[in-house]
Amino acid sequence: MDDRELFLRYRETGDVADRNKIVEKYLYVASVLAKKFVGRGVDYDDLFQVASLALIKGVERFDVDNEVKFSTFITPTITGEIKNYFRDRSRLVHLPRRVAELRVRIKRATDEILTETGTAPTAKQLAERLNVSEEEVIRAMEAGSVVSLDASASEGDEDMSFHEVLPAEENFFEKMETDDAVASAIGTLNETERKIVSYRFGQELSQTETARRMGVSQMYISRMERKILAKLKERLQSSMAE
Amino acid sequence: MKELLTLSFSVGNDLMTTVRLATGGICSLVGIDLDESEDCKVCVTEGLLILRRNGYSTARVVFSQDDGVSVRLVGLDRGGEGEPSVEDDISYALLEALVNELNVEKDGERLCALNFRIGC
Repeated sequence: MDDRELFLRYRETGDVADRNKIVEKYLYVASVLAKKFVGRGVDYDDLFQVASLALIKGVERFDVDNEVKFSTFITPTITGEIKNYFRDRSRLVHLPRRVAELRVRIKRATDEILTETGTAPTAKQLAERLNVSEEEVIRAMEAGSVVSLDASASEGDEDMSFHEVLPAEENFFEKMETDDAVASAIGTLNETERKIVSYRFGQELSQTETARRMGVSQMYISRMERKILAKLKERLQSSMAE
Repeated sequence: MKELLTLSFSVGNDLMTTVRLATGGICSLVGIDLDESEDCKVCVTEGLLILRRNGYSTARVVFSQDDGVSVRLVGLDRGGEGEPSVEDDISYALLEALVNELNVEKDGERLCALNFRIGC
């Protein structure tokens, strides 16, 4: 059975065994790509895992009628996931892209002005050269100054480190409340509805696979999903109002 | 576009680390961020692997500054015809995913150079 037939059969039946066959066949792509990003502070095993998950997601999204080969289709998907992983996990401090770009432009402009005038530019000169506000220049320059959480937070004798004085994540209690509200709203669903929520949003199964497991049509799951989400939204809105 | 560095070398494994280090140095000089610098190293290595798989035994890499880093990889001596590999598709797709502009130069059916730009 060729790839196209296998994809078509998987689309039709949602049989995980077919999906696994495709994933196993293309696992080498995940391995090849993971190896190319080794040496950036993340182990190969972790990269391979990220790449493999991206591969599974890619199988779900691949359009068999697309003339692109699956290996060509999946490569940017896996690369994107690996880059997201680096961005989200392997860096302690992430600068917004706009600020990072401005920092690069400031560095260039500083070199240019230094060459032209022989003196280091002021924030005002940089702002004029880059056509941004002086405040933006100063904020971008300060954004690169990373301070350790173990560094002293005061200059006095009673030294306290930043991690001792910084408040806990401010959204923590809000998140607890939201979690409670969601759990309570889900509690109002009937057994079938809860099963659909579990398959679709807990196990992240496709509608087709959820339908197969419950012995119903994909259309039924689609309709139920809309109904459940509307019900949950209504419950959450009324609990927020309270 | 300001040319910064040109290297000509054998595309065996021996000099890959040297080329990657030079790539990192150029990226730092131009001032592109660390992520893009690492991506640039991956792309230069990948481009050289494509040239090698297409039968080239030596290559020339030209780094220029042009709104980021522009890289031109030119295949020089062909030691043979090369073997088309399934990895070529992956390599080209990887380059497409990481660089801003990828341009592939061919002499007839034969690949002769790759050009790309990376950075802001």
